[in-house]
Amino acid sequence: MSGLLFILFAGLAIGSAIAMVAQRNPLYSAISLIGVFIALASIYVTLAAPFIAAVQVIVYAGAIMVLVIFVIMLLNVEQEERRPRRLRFLVPAAIGMAAILIAETAFILYSVHAAGAKLPGPTSDVGLTHSIGVNLFTAYLLPFEITSVLLLMAIVGAMSLARQTNLLSSTARVVPGAQVLAMDIVKRRGKEDLTAIETETTDEAAHLMGVDFQSDPEKRE
Amino acid sequence: MESFEPQLSWYLALSAILFTIGAAGVIIKRNAIAMFMCIELMLNAVNLTFIAFSSFFQDVTGQLFVFIVMTVAAAEAAVGLGIIIAIFRNRESLDVDEASMLKL
Repeated sequence: MSGLLFILFAGLAIGSAIAMVAQRNPLYSAISLIGVFIALASIYVTLAAPFIAAVQVIVYAGAIMVLVIFVIMLLNVEQEERRPRRLRFLVPAAIGMAAILIAETAFILYSVHAAGAKLPGPTSDVGLTHSIGVNLFTAYLLPFEITSVLLLMAIVGAMSLARQTNLLSSTARVVPGAQVLAMDIVKRRGKEDLTAIETETTDEAAHLMGVDFQSDPEKRE
Repeated sequence: MESFEPQLSWYLALSAILFTIGAAGVIIKRNAIAMFMCIELMLNAVNLTFIAFSSFFQDVTGQLFVFIVMTVAAAEAAVGLGIIIAIFRNRESLDVDEASMLKL
């Protein structure tokens, strides 16, 4: 029975993983990856690790993949287009090295198989929440605390990376009157574009640069 | 039916297959987000090895490691997606071949 379950979920995981790599649309890849995560969570349940299975579904299939799909939708990523293959002469070398790697892996798996470890019965309490909690807060307290520091660093790093910087560089100033600005100061993405832009008033300059500025004091909020 | 119980080697083989698919994906893919997802797949393959050994040898340490790996993966997702958004904002593209300023 458990052998059938393993084959079912392992097939699901491998099929979803291959679909993920084969897809050209990143959104479909993400959904296939969720399939891999769910299949692996089911395998964890058959391995008597219910806590990790629950965390897998909540953290991976829930939090991380929602974040990834959110970014895919936000950036509106286009499909990958096909390109000419380069380095065609490396294909035989790749096949040879893959064969060596498969032989090594098969040898290791055969040795493990010959050792014949048995899955213990349902009396074990290793995978239960209680035993994980006790160990996490006694023997492995230091890694647990270091993880919290890592999460703090990730929060700060993500904020500083994704922060919208000002449209103008810090050296540029808007002065009233005639403005002549190079286009690469006004528009960040037009790096090579050096067309001069002339404006008569500060309002016009502010509008061109996308800065929210109102020169008339009565119209200011 | 005695021999049809899953062996430890089955789980290790599944883990090796998933890891290989993930590594091949990182090499094949050119889209930064797709590469990121392949890295997540490789992390999951390693997690499966940890859980399998933990269950077969009755040691909870492997599951604690998986817990910490998941935390690291969450931190990696936050920082990695921040980097991807910053690259996209500068280049209007997620193609990693175009982001080659560090290449010699």
